[in-house]
Amino acid sequence: MSSKESCRTELRAAIRQLSDRCLYSASKWAGEQLVGIELDPAKFTPSNTRFQRGSSSIRRRFRTNEITLTPIAGVSYVSTPVMEEDDAVDGDFYLLAKSYFDCREYRRAAHVLRDQNGKKSIFLRCYALFLAGEKRKEEEIIELEGPLGKSDAVNRELVALERELLMLRKNGSIDPFCLYMYGLVLKEKGSENLARTVLVESVNSYPWNWSAWSELQSLCTTVDILNSLPLNNHWMKDFFLASAYLELRMHNDSLAKYEYLQGTFSFSNYIQAQIAKAQYNLRDFDQVEAIFEDLMRNDPYRVEDMDMYSNVLYAKESFSALSYLAHRVFLTDKYRPESCCIMGNYYSLKGQHEKSIMYFRRALKLNKKFLSAWTLIGHEYVEMKNTAAAVEAYRRAVDVNPCDYRAWYGLGQAYEMMGMPLYALNYFRKSVFLQPGDSRLWIAMAQCYEKEELHMLEDAIKCYRRAVNCNDTEAIALHQLAKLNAELGRAEEAAFYYKKDLERMEAEEREGQNMVEALVFLATHCKTQKRFEEAEVYCTRLMDYKGPEKEMAKSLLRAIRIARSGFPSTDVEHFPP
Amino acid sequence: MREEEVEKLRGVVRDCVTKHLYSSAIFFADKVAAFTNDPADIYMQAQALFLGRHFRRAFHLLNASKIVLRDLRFRYLAAKCLEELKEWDQCLQMLGDAKVDEHGNVYDSKDVNVMYPDEDGEDREINISSAICFLRGKAYEALENRAQARLWYKAAVKADPLCYEALECLIENHMLTGEEETSLLSSIQFGPEDDWLTSFYSCLIKKNDAENVVEGKFIELEKEGYNYNHSDPSFAHTWKNNTDLLVCKAEYYHQCGEYQKCFELTSALLEKDPFHMKCTLIHVAAATELGHSNELYLMACSLTKDYPEKLTVRTPSFFPLCRALSWFAVGCYYYCIKKYELSRRYFNKATNHDGTFAPAWIGYGNAYAAKEVGDQAMSAYRTAARLFPGCHLPALYIGMEYMRTHSFKLAEQFFMQAKSICPTDPLVYNELGVVAYHKKEYDKAVCWFEKTLAHIPSALSEIWEPTVVNLGHVYRKLKMFNEAIKTYEKALTLSTRSVSTYAGLAYTYHLQDNFAVAIDMYEKALWLKPDDKFCGEMLAIALEEGAHRGMDPKLEYR
Repeated sequence: MSSKESCRTELRAAIRQLSDRCLYSASKWAGEQLVGIELDPAKFTPSNTRFQRGSSSIRRRFRTNEITLTPIAGVSYVSTPVMEEDDAVDGDFYLLAKSYFDCREYRRAAHVLRDQNGKKSIFLRCYALFLAGEKRKEEEIIELEGPLGKSDAVNRELVALERELLMLRKNGSIDPFCLYMYGLVLKEKGSENLARTVLVESVNSYPWNWSAWSELQSLCTTVDILNSLPLNNHWMKDFFLASAYLELRMHNDSLAKYEYLQGTFSFSNYIQAQIAKAQYNLRDFDQVEAIFEDLMRNDPYRVEDMDMYSNVLYAKESFSALSYLAHRVFLTDKYRPESCCIMGNYYSLKGQHEKSIMYFRRALKLNKKFLSAWTLIGHEYVEMKNTAAAVEAYRRAVDVNPCDYRAWYGLGQAYEMMGMPLYALNYFRKSVFLQPGDSRLWIAMAQCYEKEELHMLEDAIKCYRRAVNCNDTEAIALHQLAKLNAELGRAEEAAFYYKKDLERMEAEEREGQNMVEALVFLATHCKTQKRFEEAEVYCTRLMDYKGPEKEMAKSLLRAIRIARSGFPSTDVEHFPP
Repeated sequence: MREEEVEKLRGVVRDCVTKHLYSSAIFFADKVAAFTNDPADIYMQAQALFLGRHFRRAFHLLNASKIVLRDLRFRYLAAKCLEELKEWDQCLQMLGDAKVDEHGNVYDSKDVNVMYPDEDGEDREINISSAICFLRGKAYEALENRAQARLWYKAAVKADPLCYEALECLIENHMLTGEEETSLLSSIQFGPEDDWLTSFYSCLIKKNDAENVVEGKFIELEKEGYNYNHSDPSFAHTWKNNTDLLVCKAEYYHQCGEYQKCFELTSALLEKDPFHMKCTLIHVAAATELGHSNELYLMACSLTKDYPEKLTVRTPSFFPLCRALSWFAVGCYYYCIKKYELSRRYFNKATNHDGTFAPAWIGYGNAYAAKEVGDQAMSAYRTAARLFPGCHLPALYIGMEYMRTHSFKLAEQFFMQAKSICPTDPLVYNELGVVAYHKKEYDKAVCWFEKTLAHIPSALSEIWEPTVVNLGHVYRKLKMFNEAIKTYEKALTLSTRSVSTYAGLAYTYHLQDNFAVAIDMYEKALWLKPDDKFCGEMLAIALEEGAHRGMDPKLEYR
């Protein structure tokens, strides 16, 4: 890793260059990382550093392995020289165009720059045109289909932009920013391979444009694609890889990368939020909560990613914390998709599903591609038994991101509710492919196989087995495995799983119908296997319960006693399993 | 009056003509002619009368003079008067009956003894016989004898390559096929100093060659100026910015389907020369293709304003064309906003103003076809086919109409006819491929589709996506599944919004028993078009079959 000081110089220059080109979110990102670099302890007294930021107790609490400051073996960092500006002083036209751009008069900005040939001017003109086209596209969708409609409106500037940028690239007179623009246009047009190549060129020659990296990341849908990218080594690449691993559900790799990056950017809120995202996917809710509490302290007006925090609070049913969060973001900025999702979660937890849906819809009106809102709206509709609407919402979610296992799972659930297990099975299969470590998905899939229409018990068993391996917290899988094996007449296997289930229930101190069932089966099974002592133990435990089982245990014990005393067993004592 | 005074008066007449003071010219020419009775002065008087639009008087004057049948100039001017009077038969009679053969060679055995006083002017002159041939052509065209008209126009160009009007008529009215145009051009004997004209004409005619050949022609012509004057940089003339040439370029872009490029070029050109007819036509056509309805509206409004229906002033002869063009633009506007009935009405109006305006006839047919009114569409196309034998589009569209009614045999016939007129249009090959596909002649279909792709002049673009999809379908029918998948995927790189690509891809995977991918693809197709019956049913089947396969081994052992 390059030294902190050089990171700082690079970022400072980058922020100026990025905001000069109106790439504001990239510049914001760079700014966050710049401030996230730890101050040199040699230059600042410890009290000074502590004063700089709030406590970072969470890092101390949860850091598992120490950060290694040495780079990974074999990696040498190519230092990319800070880019020289081709025109040090902006032309008057550029200044005017930038002002128009800042006032969101994109076409006007582009028109001012129509005859300017500086690289910066060309970029800003293309960017302004692209945004003008996007704006028009959004408006068109609203005009044609309403704010949440899907329509095939396209950005009408794409064709002209593609042609111009293609020519520029052919001439070799294209700069990294225009390359980013070109990548954006190609991605929008669906030529993903070329888009990747172009974006790699862009980030290799100018690595500080986080927007380019994010576009590239959204195009890396498999690990193979990611690994095949010819990227130069730069510390920005680590940020990219970490976030790409996260999206590809390689959460542990991602966490390792982020912890390594924290060696330099130890106060970066962005990294903390990303770590929280990984932990959330690993379903470690306590840690996510701790991280977000810390983030809220340091950056109280942050809205980004806060919807994930609300998801955690929702799952944990911590009503008061969710209420506090909701009120807080409401006052910060109520018209952000994230805030609306938080409000939606809040009302959902209160059981006010209609209100909750209203807020989720508002989130989507603000950003039609806000993935989690689509999924959550689907959940709400499932809750309200409106399966058709749920299906529509989930479909929109997978259209935004086909790697969202929650939406696929939701789709499966909705189709199961509609009595279409074949369709449901297909969607569960998709979700399980994306998130093979989640027992709920395996169980849902198994239940589909059990359905009358399919009745493929062998496959159901396979699924349950996978569920058991993934730490099934609700303990459905073991019981079902035992039951199915018994049904198929595989007594040995059934006994094995019943026993396991029993052990587990004992460990968790749970009682109930499942316990009784397990005991009955085991008692009968041991008896038929002539393992009388064991059978007796189970029978005595059954005696604690009321009802027919008690009677059954009594007669079983009697039979055991007879069998032990040498009398041949009679056919009288036959029990259904 | 003395001789020098008469000479002075002649000068006054000439000057009046250049200053367009025709009544004065007539007055003085009359005085001169009365004084001298010289045939040359009578000719001058007739000329002045003609320019002053006193056609009948001019004709009478010429006819009354004894010389009319002997002097070609007299005869030509008399015929011109008859042309203006729309006395076409008389006009032809006046020009004398010469014969012309298939290649535009003239045999006028009877007129050997006519005289033509060679005026020794400094300027280059257009051969009078070429002008006569051209006038014959016009007369025949007015008499609706288009075959003869065509031959005479050809003869006119051959007699003098500088007779651009004849070439213009041949080209604009689609009288010749591309091949015929090329052979005509190669048979013309250009003067040694007219090299540039050869290249210019070759840009004007139908451009069916590959992109680089055509571009080469343009570049050659743009360089032309430099060759002459490279010694003197201040005198660096070039045709680089010549509107006519750039319009040809725009026309070529339009033909290649690069409408955006075409539109940008014509917009720039119209700013420079807002009343350039051909440029306006191409601009309107490109705007229609691009769906710029607002642009079209303004264009149509200003055109109808510039060329109004009722004129109190005398109308120049090109006015019917202008009016046809303005109503054509109105028709295009309505076509663009999908009001086909209105668009039909205005296309019809355009054809009423100028029956030889090809785009309006085709637009008229298209407006019917858009509403699936096959019979009327067909009759419009048929008229177009009759009027414009050099244009392959009517035949192509007639074929398409037959396709719609599943008359594949007839359709094929017309496509073949279109192919013989224009053997380089990829669209024709695509349609032939589709016919072959419907007739279940899959090998043939592959051939046609591959030919289509080979004939695309520029790079493969979105407009040719259907052909690629078609090729995929044929490969699938031929059970060449891997090729089919590759082809479909190629189509997806051109457009990701086509239901039939996804459906084809899904079905191919389904046939290969790859249920997981097939299901995905069916779903993608259904996402684009939720009520697609084929995909819906096939999805159910694939799900059923796929589920009974049991768990995906890939999933199980991950």
